[in-house]
Amino acid sequence: MIEALVLTGFLGSGKTTLLAHVLRQPEFSRTAVIINEFGEIGLDHDLIETSEETVIELQTGCLCCKISNNLATTLHELLRRRDEGSVTPFTRVVIETSGLADPAPILQTLMTDAMIAGRIVLGGVVTTVDAVHGTGTLNREEISVKQVAVADRLVLTKTDLAGPIQFSLIRRLEDLNATAPVLSAQRGQIDPARLFESRIYDPLAKSLDIQSWLRVEAIPDGHSHQRHDVDTYAIVRRDPIRAVTLTLFLETLSEHYGAYLLRLKGIVNILESPDRPAVIHGVQHVFHPPSWLTRWPSDDHRSRMIFITRGIPRGWVEALLEALDAEIAAVSAQR
Amino acid sequence: MSAASEHLHTLMTQSLLAWRLIGSVQSTDDGAILVCCQSHTIRIEPAPPDLPFRWIVIIDGRTRAAISLVTVLRQVRAALDPGYATMRVRIAPFPLMPT
Repeated sequence: MIEALVLTGFLGSGKTTLLAHVLRQPEFSRTAVIINEFGEIGLDHDLIETSEETVIELQTGCLCCKISNNLATTLHELLRRRDEGSVTPFTRVVIETSGLADPAPILQTLMTDAMIAGRIVLGGVVTTVDAVHGTGTLNREEISVKQVAVADRLVLTKTDLAGPIQFSLIRRLEDLNATAPVLSAQRGQIDPARLFESRIYDPLAKSLDIQSWLRVEAIPDGHSHQRHDVDTYAIVRRDPIRAVTLTLFLETLSEHYGAYLLRLKGIVNILESPDRPAVIHGVQHVFHPPSWLTRWPSDDHRSRMIFITRGIPRGWVEALLEALDAEIAAVSAQR
Repeated sequence: MSAASEHLHTLMTQSLLAWRLIGSVQSTDDGAILVCCQSHTIRIEPAPPDLPFRWIVIIDGRTRAAISLVTVLRQVRAALDPGYATMRVRIAPFPLMPT
């Protein structure tokens, strides 16, 4: 399985500088790169030093707007050329989005497209934030809020220009996405292992570093964490959840609030599979098929689901889950 | 009030809040839930056991059957929230066991 990493961040936030540094590291020598620029003339391609045949630049407009065909076709083509031996047998793909891109459709394509399913797995989302202008950008640009909200890792860039660390900006980032660690980079320099190498979910080993992935503890007291209209909260349940309940729950959530569900990820104790928890992962209307771990990562067998939403009330989510669970339990008892 | 009706009561109360609608949710003596909102009156009651439904939803006098809470929620929202564009999505059912 080839890991796809999404590098996003607003215009000028240092994505390409960061990527250029990462690609110079020997351990990233077998990395294919897809760069998307919004505009007629691409420049980022010229700023990346790596083998030419594994850098593909998309100049057909914003990646997120043409995502269903463009990215999937590109990835499919890359895989075909890899299979033929006409490109380096890359082991990783980095997708650098346009600064104006909504990352959600990109993640959805990686999770669901039939052409690439089974060969490419979403490894994580890294979002760069300009330490100098980040606060202003987040105030003005709605898309930058979303880019931060869906991240697995946040990287503060240009920290050498910003002077002392801006605690207000860090607090803002934590408000928007309490579960993503905030790293920093100077002139793009950062330990790549902190960005990409710590594979949190290993689909082959079917193991999960649950603390790194969910970071439930980062949400104070398990309560909502809201600023702007992005809301992060964790739903934790001790009792196992029936598979049917979970299916109906996700379906109803998508039906009523799909557009507002920026990201949902979780590990779930399924009643019918007590020894092998399910890993769920959704972006807006789209849910990745659940993965089953071979065993629990720790002694903590509670279901834990992290919601990053635009205004989906936690009370409604909890009431929905409880009501569906009770209904399915009643139906099961009648049989 | 039965456990199922209690859960429905809570879900309806939370739903009005979520949809930013002003209204009331009450439990009746016969085990039904009464939702009053925007000049609509919606009565939700458990279906008789001989019917292949779980709930009966009466919206402004018009009776409909609902096979589950998912359907109830959809019917109530469609009645109360004119801006609600139903997007019927299907999540592939969870396999009951890992494969």
